[in-house]
Amino acid sequence: MKRKVLILAIMCLSSLILLNLLMACSSPPGPVPPGENEITDQLGRTVNFTPSPQRIISLAPSNTEILFALGLADRVVAVTDYCNYPPEAEEKPSIGGFSTPNIEEIIALSPDLILATSIHEKKIIPQLEARGITVFALDPKTIDEVLTAITLTGRVTGVEETASGMVSRLQLRIQAVTGRTESLPPEQRPATLYILWHDPLMTAGSGTLQNELMEQAGGTNIGRDIADYGDISLETVIAANPEVIIAGTGHGTGGDATFKFAQTETRLRDTLARQQGQVYAIDSDLTSRGGPRIVDGLEQLAAFINREIFR
Amino acid sequence: MALSPPLPEQLPSSGGRQMPLYSIIGMAILLAVAAVLATTVGSVPISPLTTFSIIADKLPLVDIAPSWSSAIGTIIMEIRLPRVILAGLVGAALATAGATYQGLFRNPLADPYLIGVAQGASLGAVIGFLLPISWHVTSFGIIPLLAFSGALASTAVVYLIARVGKTLPVTTLILAGVALGALLGSIVSYLIISSGDKLHSIIFWLMGSFSLSQWSEVTIVFPYVAVGTAVILIFARMLNVMQLDEEQAQQLGINVERLKIVLLAAATLITAASVSFVGTIGFVGIIIPHAVRLVWGADHRFLLPLSVLTGAIFMILADLVARTILAPAEIPIGVITAICGAPFFLYLLRRRKKAIF
Amino acid sequence: MIKIEMRHISLGYDDKEVLEDVHLQAMPGEMVGLIGPNGSGKSTIIRALSHVIHPRSGQILLDGEDISRIRKRDLARLVGVVPQMPLLPSTFTAFEIVLMGRNPHLGLFQQEGPADREIAWQAMGKTSTQALANRRINELSGGEIQCLLIARVLTQQTKAILLDEPTANLDIGRQVEILYLIKQLCTENNLTVLAALHDLNLAAQYCNRLVLINNGRIYADGTPAEVITEPNIREVYGAENCVHTHPVNGLPIVLLDSNHRSARRAGV
Repeated sequence: MKRKVLILAIMCLSSLILLNLLMACSSPPGPVPPGENEITDQLGRTVNFTPSPQRIISLAPSNTEILFALGLADRVVAVTDYCNYPPEAEEKPSIGGFSTPNIEEIIALSPDLILATSIHEKKIIPQLEARGITVFALDPKTIDEVLTAITLTGRVTGVEETASGMVSRLQLRIQAVTGRTESLPPEQRPATLYILWHDPLMTAGSGTLQNELMEQAGGTNIGRDIADYGDISLETVIAANPEVIIAGTGHGTGGDATFKFAQTETRLRDTLARQQGQVYAIDSDLTSRGGPRIVDGLEQLAAFINREIFR
Repeated sequence: MALSPPLPEQLPSSGGRQMPLYSIIGMAILLAVAAVLATTVGSVPISPLTTFSIIADKLPLVDIAPSWSSAIGTIIMEIRLPRVILAGLVGAALATAGATYQGLFRNPLADPYLIGVAQGASLGAVIGFLLPISWHVTSFGIIPLLAFSGALASTAVVYLIARVGKTLPVTTLILAGVALGALLGSIVSYLIISSGDKLHSIIFWLMGSFSLSQWSEVTIVFPYVAVGTAVILIFARMLNVMQLDEEQAQQLGINVERLKIVLLAAATLITAASVSFVGTIGFVGIIIPHAVRLVWGADHRFLLPLSVLTGAIFMILADLVARTILAPAEIPIGVITAICGAPFFLYLLRRRKKAIF
Repeated sequence: MIKIEMRHISLGYDDKEVLEDVHLQAMPGEMVGLIGPNGSGKSTIIRALSHVIHPRSGQILLDGEDISRIRKRDLARLVGVVPQMPLLPSTFTAFEIVLMGRNPHLGLFQQEGPADREIAWQAMGKTSTQALANRRINELSGGEIQCLLIARVLTQQTKAILLDEPTANLDIGRQVEILYLIKQLCTENNLTVLAALHDLNLAAQYCNRLVLINNGRIYADGTPAEVITEPNIREVYGAENCVHTHPVNGLPIVLLDSNHRSARRAGV
């Protein structure tokens, strides 16, 4: 008797699970708008898009900066709460936060193109696509990929020429820095610490934008053994004795807390950076946002790390 | 009957005098070893000889010519040593508080966070993280003070809710604590979701961490933990008698209400002091007393001091693992305590299958 | 030696009155039995006398001093209690439970010494429980536990002893042994003893005085012969024709006849 009940229970449970799976799989994707063009975005998705979209929504501050830099301000109908550059972007209506955009408000604005990032991949993008909205995702992880992102955005919005012009100019500026740093031998690449946050002490390791910027700027990132973003122990920092400490500031309400930490933490007093007064603050938007200002970040970092070379 | 009463050491592990006495001495020695080990080992390799020299040099009347760089000296004296000491203090505090709560409530599931101390401290800390003020009067900032206030405030609220006239019924206290804890916990959850870029810091704090421990923190935590633990140890025998029901305890001469308040206050104080500086490290407060009970029995005169020592050792070693296993990155210590502690406890349970409560 | 006195005592739980305007006295060297039907308030009186519950009105005096003014530890040295069905944790051995009886005599920083252990051991000897010393509580029978509780109260060395159904789980031999022991201590050491008993015959045999409680009031107070009478038993318990005289010592004896139906009184 007990056995029968058990078998019955298992059968019920399995059919319930099966039913759930079937329901999930069988929801058809929304109708794809007729578009002559297909393009692969930076999440590997093949996107059909209409040429020259006029109602663009950006779901990330980096995307907003790219759009405005390409002169598409008039075509942007909404941005996020965190899109603060350029200043004109703050006047645009907002559809919510970075990882929490409001789907209803997005739909109500009838966009014909949405620029998203990897954060939105799992939940937001499927929901938008199911309603037939074109979503294009940018996810640059290196400087080169940032330039690619600008190029792709130019293509998908129909301003390829403007985009390629901007990319060329940026490449020139990048070359102006790397031309002088790529030949530097290791002993002339100062040990550098980038402080993402001070409590816990976090830095940017290999595979991050900040890491590449530091290396391209002619420094040696003491956190390069850490994968991606991670916590670093104070011990390791002291033992590595950085010559340059750069504090990323401006994180929302964090203000310049990281900079204060870098300047005042007593246990860092013996590091070369503190002894020589090479403790700097940089607007973290310049080093973390995958947009045109990444080159501003590179230039500032170069000036901090190798001040002899870059006056 | 010409027999004599059972000698202390003949009584089975629920209280033979001499075996636990040797054990206390043994654990104290083990604590010293663990502390030394944790100070010499870290993400930056430093030889034991150098470590001892650095510490010895600081002792009065001892002067050793420095053969180490000032960076190494800073690491030992200002990073590792305060960190190890703080870990020991907090481990001892949480284990002792846990044992006390379990004895007071006569409940094996009691832990130091039962009546809302952790949730109150968390709320205070999260508010501190989200407020746009930074305070540089103390070197450890505003978070510990807000956390401590939160812990004390929530305990006071629970006490006022649970009090009936002049008595403090134990079941009401637990219910009030769990209810308030749930309420505060949900507020904390909401604040976390809306915390934006502070998320990582807050989660890190909630899971507990000894990174960035400094001497200034040790000097504040030490008196609270020392005094509170001393008070609890004094009442160890009475805690034994409290294992009978409250009526019998009173009939055997114990002022039950006063004892409850004193022990609750002491245990809550040492928990609040620890949590405020280090975050809510889970697991230690409930499992260490049980493990001690499994091995040495339930007589509080030995359970309590052994919990102090075992808790300290455990926390020091857990912190050592947390900061070395994935060096230079650090794992939150709450993860380590759970991963290391649970299987160990299961193993102990299987070895000794007798009742521990 | 102390004299226990209850004056104008009203006792109750929440809004339920259990006892009303009760007068009670127990003198040193006297063994007083509290008898009465179930729920009549015998346990309540014991608990009030050990100050575990507080009376609504009236005074409880020990040698003329109000019990609420006596410190808990001093009270525990004067009055010892054998509770009815107490909770005993199984993490302690029988000996350790008995040894807890020494608690009122130990200061905050004192621990039990050899003298204390000897006292506990002797107490266990008197109650024939020494063989149980190293056993855990959850291994023992109800009767063995009851004897341990009595050993504990002996270890407490108080001037008065209150017992709540001390022989409920004991076999005949043990019942006699325990009550004889208590009676002996009572008379030899001039202790004041109050025992709640449901067995009327035991009460009659061992107690100097009996107090019969019914419906929240003292129904009768006197020697066994005065209290255990046909009219009283019929009135309080509703049982007929059962009081006889013990052939050897002349004390009243209650014998039941299965042929007689007892008339249950409403509300009793």
